[in-house]
Amino acid sequence: MLELIDICKRFGQRCVAERLSLTVAAGETLALLGPSGCGKSTLLKIIAGLEQPDAGRVRFAGTDITAAAPEAREFALMFQDFALFPHLDVSGNVGFGLVERRVKRAEVRERVEAALAQVGLAGYGARRVFTLSGGEQQRVALARALVTRPRLMLLDEPFSSLDTNLRQSLQQVFRRLLTDAGIPAILVTHDRAEAFALADRVALLRDGRIVQQAAPAELLAHPADAWVARFVGFDNVLGSALVPEQAFCFGDAQPLRRIEALENLAAGIRLTVAFDEGPLTLTLSPREAAGLGEGLRVGGKVRVGIDPARMIPLPA
Amino acid sequence: MGGALDPRSAQGRAVINRFDPKRMALTLLPLAFLAVVVVAPLSRLLAEGWDHLSANILTDAYLRWRIVWSLIQAAVTCMLTLLLGLPLAWALARFDFAGRTLVLRLLMLPFVMPTLVAGLGVLAPAGPHGVLPINGQDTPWLLLYGNLFYNLPLVLRAGVDGFAAVPASRLAAARSLGATPWRAFWRVEWPAVRPWLASALCLVFLYCFSGFGLALLLGGQRYATVDVEIYSLVAYELNLGDAGALALAMMAITGAAALGYAWVEKRLAAPGRVEPIAPRRPATLAEWSWLAVALAMLIAFSGAPLLAVLGCALAAGPEAWAVLVEPDTLAALANSGRFSLIALALASVVGVAHALIASRSLWLRGAVFLPFVVSPVCVAFGLLLLYPSWTASLALLLSAYALFAYPFIAKAIAAALDALPASQPQAAQSLGATPWRAFWRVSWPWLLPAFRRGLAFAAATTVGEFAVTLFLSRPEWMTLTTLIYQRLGRPGAANLAEALVLSALLMLFALAAFVLIEWPTPLERARRALATRPPAATELPHA
Repeated sequence: MLELIDICKRFGQRCVAERLSLTVAAGETLALLGPSGCGKSTLLKIIAGLEQPDAGRVRFAGTDITAAAPEAREFALMFQDFALFPHLDVSGNVGFGLVERRVKRAEVRERVEAALAQVGLAGYGARRVFTLSGGEQQRVALARALVTRPRLMLLDEPFSSLDTNLRQSLQQVFRRLLTDAGIPAILVTHDRAEAFALADRVALLRDGRIVQQAAPAELLAHPADAWVARFVGFDNVLGSALVPEQAFCFGDAQPLRRIEALENLAAGIRLTVAFDEGPLTLTLSPREAAGLGEGLRVGGKVRVGIDPARMIPLPA
Repeated sequence: MGGALDPRSAQGRAVINRFDPKRMALTLLPLAFLAVVVVAPLSRLLAEGWDHLSANILTDAYLRWRIVWSLIQAAVTCMLTLLLGLPLAWALARFDFAGRTLVLRLLMLPFVMPTLVAGLGVLAPAGPHGVLPINGQDTPWLLLYGNLFYNLPLVLRAGVDGFAAVPASRLAAARSLGATPWRAFWRVEWPAVRPWLASALCLVFLYCFSGFGLALLLGGQRYATVDVEIYSLVAYELNLGDAGALALAMMAITGAAALGYAWVEKRLAAPGRVEPIAPRRPATLAEWSWLAVALAMLIAFSGAPLLAVLGCALAAGPEAWAVLVEPDTLAALANSGRFSLIALALASVVGVAHALIASRSLWLRGAVFLPFVVSPVCVAFGLLLLYPSWTASLALLLSAYALFAYPFIAKAIAAALDALPASQPQAAQSLGATPWRAFWRVSWPWLLPAFRRGLAFAAATTVGEFAVTLFLSRPEWMTLTTLIYQRLGRPGAANLAEALVLSALLMLFALAAFVLIEWPTPLERARRALATRPPAATELPHA
C-alpha cells in the first residue's frame, strides 16, 4: 500500500534517513521503533508531506505522491501533544477535516457524533478541549483522525504523555478501532512495549537506517545484531550470542557463582550473577527463589549455569 | 532563539510556505516600508547634519545647553525611577493586598496615554493657571514630574516581573543557608532583578532623552530638550543646518542607548516556568506603612496627572464643554478617526507581514524595534528633507503614523506565533486544509487576541501622536491632538479649559484602548488558567 523508496534526508550534519526503504501492507499496523533523535518523527512527517525528502520517492496505492501537498494525501496524523485546536470545541475539532472536505453541515454533525460515540465520548461535543483530561483529549484526537476515513493513519508517540494505566486501556481501544476500520497505520515510538503491543510488524530505526523489520515474535527470537538485542530488551548480550532467561539452568551440577546485585520485584527476584563471561542478569520466579533459600543475598552464592543450546546466536 | 536558528523548524516552514512570489512579497513589504519611511529619511538627515557639522554645536552655549540638559534630565529621571521604583516594585511583588491585581494592571495605563493628556495633567494643577499655589513654569520640576508619570510604571513593571521570576526555592535556599531577609535580598533577589531594571532604564533614558511632547509643553524656554529645539529650528527659524547638526548629535547618543538596550535585552534570560514566591499579607506595622507609602507614591506620580485632567475638565463648566460640539472639534474628530483608521489598516498589513517573517532571522526580529528607538522628530524632519514634493501629501503623514503604530502589532503577533505549536497548522494540513486554509482556520484564531491587543496599542499611539503631526500636518488636517495644542497656544483660562475638556475626551479613548488590551476574553482567560496550572488539576473524574 505505502512504499518508501530510497528516502534520504539530512539536516546539516545530521542524517535522519539514508537510502531508507519501507512498505506497509493494506490493513497492517507498522511500528517505527528507535531511540530519541533517530529520525522517526521526521520520517513520519515525510510520509505526511509536511517535510520533503532530499531524495527518494513516496508511493501510495501505486501512485507517486512524493510531491503531493499534505492536504491532498488523505492521511491522518496524530501528534504527541494531540494538537487539538484550542479555539474550537470538541465537535469543531472532530469535524475539522470534514469541513475541509466540503461535507454538508448536517452530515458533519452526524458523523462527528458517531465518531465521538465510537471513542466513548458521546455528549462531549460542546466541551472546550482544554477542560478535558489527557485521556479524553487523546480520544478526541483519535476521533478527529478517524472521522475523515483516512487512507493511512500516522501516529507520532500518541501515548507518551499519558500515565501507565490509561496508556494500556487506550492502546486496546486503538487496536480495536484501527482493526475494525481496516486502516493501515504507522506508529512512531521509542517504547518497545508499546510497539510490541500495537504493531503487526516492527521496524527498528537507527541513525537513519532500518536495522531490522519483523513481526514482534520474530524480532525477539532472532535479533539481527547486538544493538537490536539490547534495544528490544535483552540484558545479557555476549559477543556472538545472547543469553535469554530460558538458557539459565539451576541444580547441584552447576557451579557456585557470586550474587552481585539483587532487586525484589512483584514477579520475583532479579539477580545479577558473576559468570566467567561477565555479570549476567536473570529473574527468579518466587517459587524458584523460595527453593534457593539462604544464599539469596548480595555476596551470597547460587548454583547456576548456561545451556549453550538455548542461547540465541547473533549473525556475525 | 532556538526556534529561529534550528534548521529543523526552518525546514518545516519551508515546506509549508514553499518559495514563491507571495513569500518574497511578504518579506519585501515590511523591509521596503522601513527603508522608505525610516532608513532613507534618517540617512538623508545624517548627510544634512554632516554637511553642516561645525564647531557651532560645541561653541554655541545655547545649543550646548540643550544637549547637556537633555542628558541631565534623562539621567536624573533614570536615577529617580530606580530609587523610587526598586522599593515600590518589591512591595508590589511581595505584598498581597486587596486590589493588587487591579493595581498591577493599571500600571499599563500610562503607556497608552497621549503625551498631551499627561502634559496637561501636569500643567493644569501646577502651571501658570494651576489650582495649586505653586507655579512650576520655567523650572525643571514640571518636566521631571512628567517624565516620572510615564517612566515610573515602566521601571515598576520590569521590577515586578523580575522579582516574580525569582524562584521561591532559590530564596528559601538562601534563607536556610543563614541569610537574613535583607542579605537574601542583596545576594539573591537583587542580582536576579538587575538585568530587568537595566533593560527598563535603557528605555527610560531613550524616551526621556529624545522626549518631545512633554518637553514642548512643560520645559518652557530653558528646560526644553534637543528634539524641541530641532522642531523650533525647523518650524520657526527654517534653520535646517543647525537642526541637522543637532539631529546628528542626538542620533549618535540615542543610537548608543539603543545598542545598550539591545545588548541588555539579549542577556535577559527568558523567564522559565518557575514556582514564584507567593505574595503575602504585610505582617508588621512597618510593612503596612511601606505598602501604603508605595501606593501613595504611585498615585502621586502616575495617577494624579490623569485625575487632574479629569477633575479640571469636570470643573471647567458648561461653556468649556460646549467646545465638544463646535464645528472645529467635529472636523478634528472626523479627521482623527479617518486618519487613524487608514493608518491602522496600513500598520496591520505591515505588522502582520513583519511578524510572519520575524522568525526567520534575529535581525529581522530586531528590525521590529527600530521605530521604537528612533526619535519621531528626527524621522519627521528626515521625511521633510527627503520628500520635499510630498510635504503636502496626506500619504506621508499616514505612513509616519503607521510607522510608529505597526511595531505594537508586529511584536504581539510575533510573540503569539512563537507560542503557536508547529503541530497546530500541521494537524490542520494533515486533516485536508491547504496552507492558506490552515492559516485561516487554525493559526489566525490563535493569533487574533494578540492582534487585538497590538491593534489597541497601535490605535492609542496613532490617536495620541503628536510629534510627527506637528511636523507634517497642514491646517486643514486638524486632528484632536493638534486642536488641543492650538487651544493651549492661545492665551486665557477659557482656552485652557477647552483644551482640558478635549484632553479628557482623548483620555477616555486611551482608557477604552487600555480596557481592550488588559481585559482578556473568557476563552483567553481559560487558556491562560490552563497554562499556569499543572495538568493533573484539570483531570476530570471521568477518564
